[in-house]
Amino acid sequence: MNWLLFFWVVLKAVLFSTGGFGPLPSLHADFIARGWASERQFTEALAIGQITPGPNGLWVASLCYLVAGVPGAILSCVALLLPPLSILIVQLVYARIADRAATQGALDGVVLVIVGFNVMVLARLFFGNGADLRLVAIAVISAALAISRRVSSVVIVAVAALVGFVFG
Amino acid sequence: MPYPESSAEPQAPPPTIRLLFFAWVKIGFTSFGGGAVSQYLIQESFIYKRKWLSAEEYANIIAMSQIAPGINLIANAILIGKRLAGWPGILVSLVGFVLPSAAITVGISAIYAEFSALPRVQSALATAFAAIFGISLATNWRNAGPIFAGNRKRGPAAFGVALAIMIGSALVYAVFGPAVVLLYLAGGLCGAFAYRHSAGKKRKD
Repeated sequence: MNWLLFFWVVLKAVLFSTGGFGPLPSLHADFIARGWASERQFTEALAIGQITPGPNGLWVASLCYLVAGVPGAILSCVALLLPPLSILIVQLVYARIADRAATQGALDGVVLVIVGFNVMVLARLFFGNGADLRLVAIAVISAALAISRRVSSVVIVAVAALVGFVFG
Repeated sequence: MPYPESSAEPQAPPPTIRLLFFAWVKIGFTSFGGGAVSQYLIQESFIYKRKWLSAEEYANIIAMSQIAPGINLIANAILIGKRLAGWPGILVSLVGFVLPSAAITVGISAIYAEFSALPRVQSALATAFAAIFGISLATNWRNAGPIFAGNRKRGPAAFGVALAIMIGSALVYAVFGPAVVLLYLAGGLCGAFAYRHSAGKKRKD
């Protein structure tokens, strides 16, 4: 493995995309073309990223581990950490215009889009994978428990997984 | 349902570097369920339990985080760290959040491939995802809540615009599937015009 090339391929994919799944098209093209990864490793890494702690975007670290071991995983983490640092430049600009009403409006508008978009994407995934009455009930109960703040999210996810495993 | 608490709540003094680091480490180790649960735990820890940030401040941070390349939650951690403890805050936030979660992700990757085909494992994944979906509904509710509360004070027109941005962008995405950046741009512009308009009206009154 040429580690410098490997690092560049991952960094490039993260740098020219946004969000956890943003690097997928670029990584897919490069990793498959170079024979570094199989299709199956991609689906596995994506699934693992959704279950394990931290951002879903850590699926990239999972993929890089599957194809290049621990050194690959470490290099991918560095490649994942560098591009978001550019947010500090955005913040400098924000500090200059923060007191205008329109600035707050723009930020609130973006949050509202994120909320609508997030719920839509997750709902599609949820119902697209064949959600039945049992799964809908689990989702509703989990939402209620999360809002009530009485049960920690780890317990909610673990109990749900256990129910699936036992009655699966 | 009541709106989530807003900045009227008293806020705690900023944390020490050590406290900040361990707050992130806890999230890094326990946010099973990926980004949706990480976001929920960040709200839980920084806004509701320790009161280091107000819900409004946090909403601004997530809006800004969308603009940077790469994983938004990492940009989010950078901004929270900077806001609470300056440059050292950025370092401990990144290390505390990403190192444990990346280590667990790699560890589970090593185990997962062996068992992924078992039907029981598949069924457990489906029910776990249902719970993650539910938790993310709660997270999004808490992100949008303070914005709707603020717009109710601005009047029914502003409240209507906020509701239209949220539902409209979801529908436009579902039907036309445009690039998400365009949706952010449209939502941001609508919000900017709406707030400028209501601020101008207030001055005239």
